[in-house]
Amino acid sequence: MKRFGKSHLKNKLETDRQSTENSSSNISKNIAENEQFLKNMFHNCSDIIFREIMIHGETKLLLIHVDGMINTDIITSNVLKPLMYDGLPQGLGTIDSIAQMCEEELFSVLPIKKLSNYGDIVDHILKGNAAILADGENTAVLADVSKLEHRAIEEPFNEASIRGSREGFIELLRMNTIMLRRILATPKLKFESLKIGNVTQTDVVIAYIEGTVSMPILNEVRKRINRIQIDAILDSGYIEESIEETHLSPFPQMLVTERPDVVAAGLLHGKVAILCNGTGCALVVPLTFWEGLQAHDDYYERFLFVSLIRWVRSLFAFFSVLFPSVYIALTNFHPNLVPQELMMTIAMLRERAPLPTVIEVFMMELIFEGLREAGIRLPKQIGPLVSIVGALVIGEAAVSAGIISAPIVIVVSAAGISSFIIPRFRFGYALRILRFPLLILSGLFGLFGLAIGIIAILIHLIQLSPFGTPYLTPVAPQNTRRLKDVLMRWPRKRAIYTGPDNEADQP
Amino acid sequence: MKRAGTLCFVWLLMILSTTGCWNLREPNQLAFVLGTGLDLTKDGQLQISIQIVIPSGVDGGQESGGGTKGKSFRVISATGKNVYDTVPSFQAQLSRSLFLGHRRIILIGQRLAEHGIGNLLDEFIRNPQSELRSRIYVVKNGQAKDILSAEPIFEPFTSTALVHQQATLGLKRYYFRDFLSDALSQGLQPMLPTVRLTDSKQFVYSGTAVFNKDEGLKLVGFLDDKDSFYANWITNRQAGFALTSFVKRGNGNVSLKLQSLGQRIRVKMVDKQIKIDVHLTGEGTIVENNTDLDPTKLKDLHIIQDELSETTQRSIQRLIEKVQKQYKTDIFGFGERVHQQYPNQWKTMKRDWNDTFPELAVSVKVNLQCNPGENNSSVKIMP
Repeated sequence: MKRFGKSHLKNKLETDRQSTENSSSNISKNIAENEQFLKNMFHNCSDIIFREIMIHGETKLLLIHVDGMINTDIITSNVLKPLMYDGLPQGLGTIDSIAQMCEEELFSVLPIKKLSNYGDIVDHILKGNAAILADGENTAVLADVSKLEHRAIEEPFNEASIRGSREGFIELLRMNTIMLRRILATPKLKFESLKIGNVTQTDVVIAYIEGTVSMPILNEVRKRINRIQIDAILDSGYIEESIEETHLSPFPQMLVTERPDVVAAGLLHGKVAILCNGTGCALVVPLTFWEGLQAHDDYYERFLFVSLIRWVRSLFAFFSVLFPSVYIALTNFHPNLVPQELMMTIAMLRERAPLPTVIEVFMMELIFEGLREAGIRLPKQIGPLVSIVGALVIGEAAVSAGIISAPIVIVVSAAGISSFIIPRFRFGYALRILRFPLLILSGLFGLFGLAIGIIAILIHLIQLSPFGTPYLTPVAPQNTRRLKDVLMRWPRKRAIYTGPDNEADQP
Repeated sequence: MKRAGTLCFVWLLMILSTTGCWNLREPNQLAFVLGTGLDLTKDGQLQISIQIVIPSGVDGGQESGGGTKGKSFRVISATGKNVYDTVPSFQAQLSRSLFLGHRRIILIGQRLAEHGIGNLLDEFIRNPQSELRSRIYVVKNGQAKDILSAEPIFEPFTSTALVHQQATLGLKRYYFRDFLSDALSQGLQPMLPTVRLTDSKQFVYSGTAVFNKDEGLKLVGFLDDKDSFYANWITNRQAGFALTSFVKRGNGNVSLKLQSLGQRIRVKMVDKQIKIDVHLTGEGTIVENNTDLDPTKLKDLHIIQDELSETTQRSIQRLIEKVQKQYKTDIFGFGERVHQQYPNQWKTMKRDWNDTFPELAVSVKVNLQCNPGENNSSVKIMP
């Protein structure tokens, strides 16, 4: 039995090797042989259509494609109709093969490839090309007649904005590059194409603007992407995880966005974007700490308002990390730092509380995270129910039952809500994770532990530099000119178009 | 990864080994002390009273359905050899540990103040839990314990009520630590605000208590409300007050609400004779005018200003004379000024400053500026 298993495995390995050997071989002139070979390869693949085209009673052509993936109208009108009704044209003159005829006479605009390698042919068929094999010829014609079904372009679901474009990326890579090309209509915008994934063969595009892009970052991205050895890429998240600097940092090292305008803005700043087929999320490399706190329409709105909002955002970001732990440290370790009237009120509200404050905060934080997660996962119809149940049961009932003291509900919900103010929501994850270690430190050691925790976070932020870009730039290392775009958004120069200086207005 | 782990471990060890305030105590394990009262019992023992908060009795926004609200505080007392000696006996009465970080007030009974409090101050500075930002009061004609037990009109606690009252009276902040620095500095005698209890168990602010630190911080006498305002004006402890005075040439009273008070004390040395110049300025609005004068007219306004300044000047001169002759303690800090302006001479002078002070020649100049107020002339309906 054991032996059988072993030999079975051995056999399997051998056949695998054979088939790979075969797939790298070229097709033969005998159409029946080719058909047999491809049918073996697509054994049990019911979605692959083999269509034999008989001309004058004998098999002349073989059309192979994936059912539903090609535009049959084009094939019918361009290939099948002329050949089946008119037969092979007589007296070809300069044309001496079907392949050449297809290329020069039948398909007028469509991209055509002439391939003779089995492996390449199979790959193209699977990507939505139609393969035409002719009897007596050892090249196959592959016509890109793919009919790509896709979702309509919609407003990005997770990145709403008041002002600015309503376009969001979709799952089709080609559409995404079109959207980018429409914004950046310059030949300097480059799309380097690659295929990643041994099984999925996913199309991946590295986008950048030549001359603007920071070459060290681009080279680093190319190097890291080429190093990826993976079977499947189902989302850009796979690429992100494979090329990011460290897995251990809670802070995201690249921007994930559904918006073409955000990608375009990143490219114009010399960044590199990675787009991937099958997902509406593009990666923009690298991300810095302050960009994590900025929103895309910061640059579309008037600068005074945006500067105010940026201050509010930073304030709330720190608030969301620190509020629960500061509350614990102050009430449990340093009550003399709390104003007396407030302390008396807190003491009064805590009078009946059965659990220590740290446990209370921890419980409420976990429940909050749970509610948040449930809110995402639940079907849309039940979603509002969760918030009602969460607010009523957890908040109101727990307080009135005396299990949780009222200030805790205020503290946890205020910190939780303020973590949602961060526009790049993945950046908010980092702050949410960091809340827990700080909670433990301040619960054990008070403000002292909290200070140690904050120092540890700062050290981490300073030594983190994704793709060679320091995470805290332009604050550390300092770049005075670029500091104008951190907590402020400095206005652009005014351009005055009206008035007699304008030549167009001259009589 | 391994390095990060070791680093974290070392970090935590370092935290554990540091001494500091890392003992966790929930608010409901603490007995918050809001006020401390020091008294001398009839048989000569030191009695400490503390006012502690009962949190469940504090009204914190949410009413518990019209139920009977409990008392928000309790006053407990204990006698001991010194201040800290009473703590064990307090702790014996309480299920929670005493927390002094929110003490707002320290009260000293008159009997103890007359006996001298110089030897009781050490605990307040040495005990790390002690709060030096407490206000300090002397209780006139009574015991500190009774003031702590009194129920104020607005606030739930006498302690906070007294603190708020100081601001309302226009007194500048004067903490226990300021009292300590006054008591430990040269050429200045401390004075403290006083309260007394009325027959209806309400506390009333009643002027200032004057101490002599050279006899072990003994109470030597009181100044009444008005004199206290003047004394606080000279020592820059008053932000503003209302002054009412008779104006002879207008045949009526004028009330002035003084707001920006200024003071300048200068020392002149003529033939080893020290002369002190006290120059006081104040700006105010006339808030009541019972005279025949019209303050909007510059001439009449000058009359009012001059007369008010003159009468105030006379009162202050009387006050300084009284302090010089009767109490013989330099509460105005004239010695401090001499120290600053003539540091070399001060070295010889400081030893017998208490004997020099009563003989000092002090000249007072008061300069009041009045805004006419809302009305033109006096609104008066005469028979």
